[in-house]
Amino acid sequence: MNCLEFRRLLLQDPFANDPAMQKHEQECRQCNQYAQEQRAHERQLRDMFNEITPPPELAENIQLAVRLDRRVQSRRQVWFAAAASVLLIVGATITSLVNERWERGNMALAQSVLNHIDDEAHHLREAGPVSRSRVNFVFARFGAALTEDIGQINFAAECLMRKRNGVHLVLPGKNGPITAFFMPGETPGKVIPVKSERFQGRIAPTAWGSVAVVGEHGENLEGMAERLANAVHWPQAEQSVGGGKLGAPAGPTVAQK
Amino acid sequence: MGQLHDQFDSLVKALTPELYRYAMGLCHNPDTADDLVQETFLRAWRSQNTLRDVKTARAWLYTILRNENARLYERQRPDVRDPHALPAVAVHGYDTSTEAFTLRRALNDLDLQYREPLLLQTIGGFSCQEIGQMLGLKSNTVLTRLFRARKMLRDMLENAQSSELEKLS
Repeated sequence: MNCLEFRRLLLQDPFANDPAMQKHEQECRQCNQYAQEQRAHERQLRDMFNEITPPPELAENIQLAVRLDRRVQSRRQVWFAAAASVLLIVGATITSLVNERWERGNMALAQSVLNHIDDEAHHLREAGPVSRSRVNFVFARFGAALTEDIGQINFAAECLMRKRNGVHLVLPGKNGPITAFFMPGETPGKVIPVKSERFQGRIAPTAWGSVAVVGEHGENLEGMAERLANAVHWPQAEQSVGGGKLGAPAGPTVAQK
Repeated sequence: MGQLHDQFDSLVKALTPELYRYAMGLCHNPDTADDLVQETFLRAWRSQNTLRDVKTARAWLYTILRNENARLYERQRPDVRDPHALPAVAVHGYDTSTEAFTLRRALNDLDLQYREPLLLQTIGGFSCQEIGQMLGLKSNTVLTRLFRARKMLRDMLENAQSSELEKLS
């Protein structure tokens, strides 16, 4: 080891326990002197730092701050949990209310369909058939058009359904007459079953409203509402003459019978 | 949780003095050093989940303190006073002798990149490898910086002594 190497290693760590360094230090007087001076500086430096002591209350203050922080955090967690519970309850209540209202609305629609059939039961006895031009005229009142043949139609008229007008058709079925309502603006969101002592059927949602199909018990109505909906070209709700927004019925509001 | 809290309390008691010294070596201000140590332990407490091994807690705390100091410095450059002057508030054990003053001045004049590894070795007793991990440097770079730090410190002290002798003669 030469002097340069020794001093480089010494300045990297003055207290290094390296036999090669110790050997050189014993053999070289200048390096020995240099090492002693360097270790004296080093001790002075360490003493300088060791003499610095923190304020006696620092550790206690830190422990206190940690405890306080822990308490604040746990309190915050309690608050978060409480707030989350309240939000959950409020959310569940709102959802439940909305669903209840929605269900009530659906039931009311189904009931109004049945009421309408009962009120106008005489139309069920219509022997028909009505002309194609009459059917087209009724649909045309709403800007709609029958684009496919849906078979014999015994009755066709524009009727008031709840808050707005729609198309009321009666078709012959196997077990008796089948009533079909085209109800613009009535958007139930899902298929609603319709049932009474005499009748059964369903209300199927469409892009512009819904189609109700109701017949005698035992009548096969499977897919009929969808077939009827596809057979009619109906403009979007806002463009429809008879299908304005809820509460603001557009077009004729008096039954044209 | 209680056991963890007790362990943390022990850690605070055991490591506060050396962390305070390291903080003083970095910022030269007792008030700031006080804040730095306190903030270091609070941060450590809040992110204790990231600490996998208690044995590495010491190096981890030093690293947090170093980062805190860097953050503080970036934010407000806290100490605009003469770093060589005595602290406004008396610090217990703060050596007021001329030699200590000269040494402090020399140490403070060292660039941070040289002062940091020197403080970590002198106060913390960390190995070159540990210092390298804490500072994100290779061991060889740490050795070079330690060499240069002591060389500059020694030169500054010798120059100071020569000036003193010149004044006397």
